[in-house]
Amino acid sequence: MTRTRQRGQGLAADIAVMSRGWRWTRRSLPPRSAEPHHTFPEPREFPTEWARSRPARVAREVILRGGLGPLVRHETTVEIEGLDVFDGLDGPVIIVANHASHLDTALLLTTLPVKWQRKVTVGAAADYFFDAWWRAIGSALAFATFPIERHGTGLSDTPTALIEQGWSIVMFPEGTRSPDGWTRRFRPGAAALARTHGIPIVPVAIIGSFAAMPRGRNWPKPGRPPVHVRYGRPVRPLPDENTLALNGRVSAALAALLDEDSSDWYSAARRAATTETPASSGPEVANWRRVWASTAGPAARSAKAKAWR
Amino acid sequence: MSRPGFVLTVDERTPPMLLHSGESFRLQQFPLGTRVIYPPESLPGVPDVDEAIEAALLNPVDSEPLPALLHAGMKLTIAFDDLSLPLPPMRKPDVRQRILERVLQYAADAGVDDVELIIATALHRRMTADEVKAAVGERVFRSFWPDQLYNFDAEDHANLAHLGKTDRDEDVEISKRAAESDLLVYVNINLVAMDGGWKSTAVGLASYNSLRHHHNAHTMVHSRSFMDPRHSELHSSAWRMGRVLSEHVKVFQIETTLNNDAFPSQYGFLTKREWEWSIRDQAVFLGTKRGLDLMPAKTRRRLFQQMEAPYAVTGVSAGAVEPVHEQTLERVHRQQLVEVNGQTDILVMGLPYLCPYNVNSVMNPILAACLGLGYLFNMYRGKPLVREGGVLILHHPVPWEFSTLHHPSYVDFFDEVLAESTDPKVIGPKFEQQYATDPWYTHLYRTSHAYHGVHPFYMWYWCAHALEHLGQVIWVGGDRRAVARMGMRSASTFADALELARDTVGSSPTITYQHAPPHILSDVR
Repeated sequence: MTRTRQRGQGLAADIAVMSRGWRWTRRSLPPRSAEPHHTFPEPREFPTEWARSRPARVAREVILRGGLGPLVRHETTVEIEGLDVFDGLDGPVIIVANHASHLDTALLLTTLPVKWQRKVTVGAAADYFFDAWWRAIGSALAFATFPIERHGTGLSDTPTALIEQGWSIVMFPEGTRSPDGWTRRFRPGAAALARTHGIPIVPVAIIGSFAAMPRGRNWPKPGRPPVHVRYGRPVRPLPDENTLALNGRVSAALAALLDEDSSDWYSAARRAATTETPASSGPEVANWRRVWASTAGPAARSAKAKAWR
Repeated sequence: MSRPGFVLTVDERTPPMLLHSGESFRLQQFPLGTRVIYPPESLPGVPDVDEAIEAALLNPVDSEPLPALLHAGMKLTIAFDDLSLPLPPMRKPDVRQRILERVLQYAADAGVDDVELIIATALHRRMTADEVKAAVGERVFRSFWPDQLYNFDAEDHANLAHLGKTDRDEDVEISKRAAESDLLVYVNINLVAMDGGWKSTAVGLASYNSLRHHHNAHTMVHSRSFMDPRHSELHSSAWRMGRVLSEHVKVFQIETTLNNDAFPSQYGFLTKREWEWSIRDQAVFLGTKRGLDLMPAKTRRRLFQQMEAPYAVTGVSAGAVEPVHEQTLERVHRQQLVEVNGQTDILVMGLPYLCPYNVNSVMNPILAACLGLGYLFNMYRGKPLVREGGVLILHHPVPWEFSTLHHPSYVDFFDEVLAESTDPKVIGPKFEQQYATDPWYTHLYRTSHAYHGVHPFYMWYWCAHALEHLGQVIWVGGDRRAVARMGMRSASTFADALELARDTVGSSPTITYQHAPPHILSDVR
């Protein structure tokens, strides 16, 4: 072996040791016993302006329409309902959806009308999507994400600036993916933003993503599992409404959409009118039964009749 | 605000640790559960060094202010530490220069004509003119070199004074000029707890006749450790000699302490805790390491030897030797002391490129052993970091390489003495006198820049406590022949070293890595 080659291998070995040891692909963490002696740096928001520049938007459109959209449709059986809600809308909105899978963002962005797709950003957990440089850059480019501190003291200025610049925002008010497929308590951040800026919230129910690709999976299950994306009528802040009340209405609207998906629009509307809409948080039964029910997924309504019976 | 030192327990989040290995570095991933002792971060220096010097000289401890001790017609001798302190050499201006200039200004103001400056080399090599100039500054050098500013000569018997014996029958023989002065001012740099106190004058200005009483295997084995003067037989002896000395000459001691800024800012990764390395630190480490590995050995050595530390002075004390030294020790402890609970089965160290005796020179195998087994092993208070019968794993290339200019007697010591025995208690009585009185070594010591003929024995004696205490010593990456000559074992990798250690400490030993330099003094409970 030549000396130059040996040196090259030595360098490669050093880089390999350093990339593992310093967690180049993950958030750097101090050893546990060093935490009392560690000065944690002031958190800095990962810059994402570049991801909303024209070249990045063009690149994203190529990714979403040329790559991710076909891929999602290839791997799952997607049914989209209610896109007509955007017909009467102009200007920024907040799109709020239940969250049970990493598929959710891809489903939303690839099913939105192109006009809205071009001007939408996604609030993403800073401690997950922005903990490693490669994940931050990748998600910002493909999904136009911006960081949201889940455990911080308050909302950053970024969402406000985005809305003022005319960008719509996708938010998952549960804050994290559901562990059992049912929705969790909605945090009021999205409602507060909508109320502050007087803009509507579009609720979206995503059904089946938990069954298709739950936590722990990074690719949908084989067999093109069915997934439904159901857009609901916008919820507009009322003049004297406080944030919690608005948040409650959004949560109820999303529960009605989920109900609608499992029954029909009129039945769900009647139940909603008498406050009999089933709780989107699911039945209070043993955890395994909740998971069991969620893993069944929705029925594929548009399944073609088999040629051979 | 400087953070204190602490003991880390390696977990799955812990990055590889930096280890010094001679003129290079390496990264080592330690087994989970390994303890890593980190030194306290650098303390801030005094805001104004000159002001601190002035304040110390005018408000000394248990002494009249320096100006009151100076008068026309007196005989003034100023002695100061040689190039073995500090390590690495400090960025100019050296604190010795600042103090000497201030002391000499007072002497000039008082009309003192008879002034001599002695470099307290004891049996160390003579400093070159350039080295002296770097330590004392151009003004002092031009005014006094070479007649009134010179290296101490422990073999110039006409200029030695035998002051008597201690109550333990130890000869006290030091520089005649110093002993017969009206005032002896000593300027010290107290890098570690071993330095300073009566060791400055009673050792730094002493002859072999005096040094042999404490520089021997018996004293070293009973100095536990010599980094803890209160439990050091070496220091007890020096203190006894100092008290004899104080009956003959008034000593005005000036001691300084430094912080832990041992490396220039471009090598910041050397003093940073690894998990706090930025991308830049990682890149600089990688670039530095690869650069060093590709460099010719001579260039690499020159690069290291040119390194100057941006030390800050953390304090200056002056006055009577013993109370001054108490203040000094307190400051040294504040900078270096780390509490450690319990001993370990295996102690790991990375040895840097420099020890007190290879400044601008080569670190030969004996010096490497002295650095690891003598100095760093003894950086404890209470009890050794490693248990009795435990294993010491050292990282160093241990090249079979000697400077014939600086270490001529080391060559013969390595070839002849260690080939016969590595036991300090055996080689002392058998060979020491022969080397100490060899006319050729004496000639080189006096006229060239060679360490005294007996010096390699002293280096080996420094190791005596460790050699007696340890069950095994393993060198990672060391020259196999050189390591074997010293009666120790070598391993290619750290994993191999752990495998070798199993014979001594079993299959699930506790491991502790002493993350030095910068200096750590472990307070082992």
